[in-house]
Amino acid sequence: MFMIARSAALTAALTLALPGLAAQRAPSPPSVLAITGARLVPVSGPVIERGTIVIRDGRITALGANVTAPADARVIDGAGLSIYPGLIDAAGSLGVPRAATGGGGPGGFGGGAPPAASQQGTANSAYPVGQRPEVAVVDLLKADAAQWSGAHSAGITVAHAIPNSGMFRGQSAVIALGSGEVPALVVKAPIAQAIAFQGIRGAFPGSLMGVFAAMRQMFLDAQRYGAAVAAAARDPRGSPRPEWNPSLEALQAALAGTMPVVFEADTEREILRALDFAREFNLKPIIAGGDEAWKVATRLKAENVPVLLSLNFPKPTAAPAADADPEPIRVLQGRVDAPKGPGRLAAAGVRFAFTQGGGTSWSDHLPNMRRAVAAGLSPDAALRAHTLAAAQILGVADRFGSLEVGKAAHLAVVRGDIFDSTSRVTHVVVDGAVTELPAPAATAANGRPGGGARGPGGPGGPGATELGGTWMTTVAIEGTDHTVTIALRQDGQRLIGMLQGGLGVAQISHGELNADGEFRFTAPVTLRDGTEEAVFVGNLTGNAIRGGVSIVGHALGRFSGTRPAPAGTIAAPVANQPTTH
Amino acid sequence: MKSTLWTLLAAVAIAPALAAQGTAPVTIIRNATVLTVTNGTLTGTDLLLRGGKIAAIGTGLTAPAGATVIDATGKFVMPGIVDPHSHLMSDAINEGSLSVTSMTRIEDVLNPTSTGIYRAAAGGVTMLNILHGSANTIGGQSATVKLKPGKSAAEMLVPGAPPGIKFALGENVTRKNSNVTNQQQRRYPYTRMGQAEVLRDAFVRAQDYRAEWADYRARGAKGVPPRTDLELQPLVEVLEGKRLVHAHSYRADEMLMLINLADEFGFKIKTLQHGLEGYKIASEIARHGAGLSTFADSWSYKIEAYDAIPHNSAILVRHGVLTTINSDSDERIRRLNIDAAKQMRYGGLTENEAMRLITINGAIQVGMGDRTGSIEVGKDADLAIWTAHPFSVYARVETTFADGEVTFDRQRDQAMRETMAQQRAELEEAPENKTPASGGGQGGRGRPAPASTMTEIDQ
Repeated sequence: MFMIARSAALTAALTLALPGLAAQRAPSPPSVLAITGARLVPVSGPVIERGTIVIRDGRITALGANVTAPADARVIDGAGLSIYPGLIDAAGSLGVPRAATGGGGPGGFGGGAPPAASQQGTANSAYPVGQRPEVAVVDLLKADAAQWSGAHSAGITVAHAIPNSGMFRGQSAVIALGSGEVPALVVKAPIAQAIAFQGIRGAFPGSLMGVFAAMRQMFLDAQRYGAAVAAAARDPRGSPRPEWNPSLEALQAALAGTMPVVFEADTEREILRALDFAREFNLKPIIAGGDEAWKVATRLKAENVPVLLSLNFPKPTAAPAADADPEPIRVLQGRVDAPKGPGRLAAAGVRFAFTQGGGTSWSDHLPNMRRAVAAGLSPDAALRAHTLAAAQILGVADRFGSLEVGKAAHLAVVRGDIFDSTSRVTHVVVDGAVTELPAPAATAANGRPGGGARGPGGPGGPGATELGGTWMTTVAIEGTDHTVTIALRQDGQRLIGMLQGGLGVAQISHGELNADGEFRFTAPVTLRDGTEEAVFVGNLTGNAIRGGVSIVGHALGRFSGTRPAPAGTIAAPVANQPTTH
Repeated sequence: MKSTLWTLLAAVAIAPALAAQGTAPVTIIRNATVLTVTNGTLTGTDLLLRGGKIAAIGTGLTAPAGATVIDATGKFVMPGIVDPHSHLMSDAINEGSLSVTSMTRIEDVLNPTSTGIYRAAAGGVTMLNILHGSANTIGGQSATVKLKPGKSAAEMLVPGAPPGIKFALGENVTRKNSNVTNQQQRRYPYTRMGQAEVLRDAFVRAQDYRAEWADYRARGAKGVPPRTDLELQPLVEVLEGKRLVHAHSYRADEMLMLINLADEFGFKIKTLQHGLEGYKIASEIARHGAGLSTFADSWSYKIEAYDAIPHNSAILVRHGVLTTINSDSDERIRRLNIDAAKQMRYGGLTENEAMRLITINGAIQVGMGDRTGSIEVGKDADLAIWTAHPFSVYARVETTFADGEVTFDRQRDQAMRETMAQQRAELEEAPENKTPASGGGQGGRGRPAPASTMTEIDQ
């Protein structure tokens, strides 16, 4: 592990970004800022109802009711403002270009084109793309302050950045969402090894079963590699030199328990699989996602496993077609349970921090935190999950997560109280640099689901690659048409959902979507000669999907489907006839 | 869809109810006609279920304090149905990328929330052999589970069940290649000849692997041990008779190839799965000692199924092959009793021979014949109470037990439908389930009305 020292020179520049001047950097000194007469919420201590906070050279140098602004400070009148520590997105891929680690090109189940993109700095890896734990997110990050606008609007100033594709995703980092180059943004790296139960297109492992086999084999190989290297070190003259293997090398810290392993796991069974796997190799697990973590709370608490909990609560994305099957109770119940999850985890004593959860928009982020509070989570616990608890889980609490003298000047400045739905994040301060956030253009009354992610290059705006919703689909297999309702929910690049109708009822697994609208998922389907696994590979265009279905023992099938347009975007929803043949 | 809806609803609601029951309640079933399968049919008979086992069989049994008493007058009790070939409750079926994927395990991907578990229990099924798919010559490791809706995957895995593995021959392996697009590479093998080569190559590698480890141990296990190879380890277990081989196969020639290859390497095929042309080589199969698990009456759905006949199982039974009927289907699994009954019609099996096809024979095929599959004192309390003889088309399951626990109960199911309709109505009204348009009152489509739900679950 290494810590990149924050460079005062880089971060000291105080940018008071006004609309139209956002990209400009103010002349260097003065690098002193004071916000006076504000409500200060330090998280680590009691609220100061009216006080002043002073920032100098990127760090907090004073705060309190009786603090006065230094003579050389730029002063912001804090009347009506509440100041919180900059919020932390405890897991995500902020700053990582989409599919930078390559999920593979088009292709399908078994066979397929080689991955389109390569993982940087891993040219000599012994393993294929997607199985390279040596990948470091710091090598993938692209600095572009415009991409933070969505996160900033939710008060986020620090993020835990994880490579965004593959099974062994690689090593994560904590970054500051500032305006410098990558070296200036990296707070700490590596933080954790990240694993997702995601196969590799067109190669082994292509299924969830294969993923577990491949992970298990790789950790076994890493154990043996560690033993061989240690044996050679003990007796360099009496033993052969072990072949260098960067992938197995990279897993040593995880095996030694000095680097935690973040498992992306949402459902109860995914979480149990992650915990069981971690136990098998004595890893230090962290759960990211955690939709159903509350169902496993007892075990998470007993094993002291923290959860990086998604605030991307499931929601219906579009009105169902008139003739769609009713949604399963399980799905309906899941939506009602989601906001209750954080409160239940807190009650069970499970450590957790909030994440944006790879959703397509930031506009739900704080509203969903408020929903969690309305559903039973204490405001204090909610705030901690966004600040100090996150910093502690990620190992950066020495500098982040609270308003304390000496800590990094990361602030979320809110007009009103952050738990009040009418409040608004007006500024964020990142390493002492102030960004003033534009007021929303109009009240978001246009009903566009997911709202609008602000700024190009944000974490995926809604639109072209939003696959959530209920799809009325026709699946043609060897001359027979099957009418199937496919209910999909998109979680970043992951797809989860159900398939119902003429091919039986099944949960889909292994779903993923790339930025070009190409997607795939697998589901067991019931045909005349038995239940077999079908792999759907297709493309999304607007409100239409089409593609191929691979089923073992059958010729390649075809599917096409439509969904009713998201409500509010089309004046006359009557126009959407869900029949496609 | 209508009948599937209520089971879908029911599976969700019954889960907590069943889980709360605790394990192994004491139950006494009175005055039933008991199809023991291994000891004939007993009329007017009581069964005592205690500690998850069948504790007593007789007449006028004394009910222990606290026992649940079920009057089964006019009803039939048969052993829980064993399905030797299922893909139920599995989040993945095929790892089709490679020709040998023995490193994969169904156990890793079990989905205990699958709706099909409850539906199968409602069909009197208690135990499954969950197999990897048939995309490749050597597939993954299978899992033996007892169906217990609401329980975790770990609680459904049968402790002590011998491990198994899936092999596959024929068109599914080669036709896998028919799905490739021009951007994909075809995957070896393309022919049955190639499948034999894949098998031989894999077992030669497994022999070498076993020798490498034996050599290491013989030298005192000093130094860095050989690599643990998750692909070859299960094949070593096959060679050592510790892992049961369930081989998907259709044609007589490919089955003979596999039997010869197994003889060459000194292991046994536990079951030929499907084996639609098994009747052509029944003696050879019996001589090897393999079992065979087939469909009741499915044929001609692909080239290699053209020679299938519905008399297959009867001919095999007459030649001494341990034979079963399987579902291989999340839907047909609910009607295996009828599939077994067909074998009396085709080929003239006796009632008891036909009953064995879906009970004790399947238990033996997964190495559990001494624990379940028949109604005997000391065996696991895996059974179902039926309203009529299970071979009647009018028979329905009243109650299913697995390890003495109720996994399906018709009365409870009926009662649940109303509460679940209520639950659905409430959930649909919850703001979390409102689409952006619904509730806005500007003509947006809402959810289907709860009333339609009622109609559907009345089926």
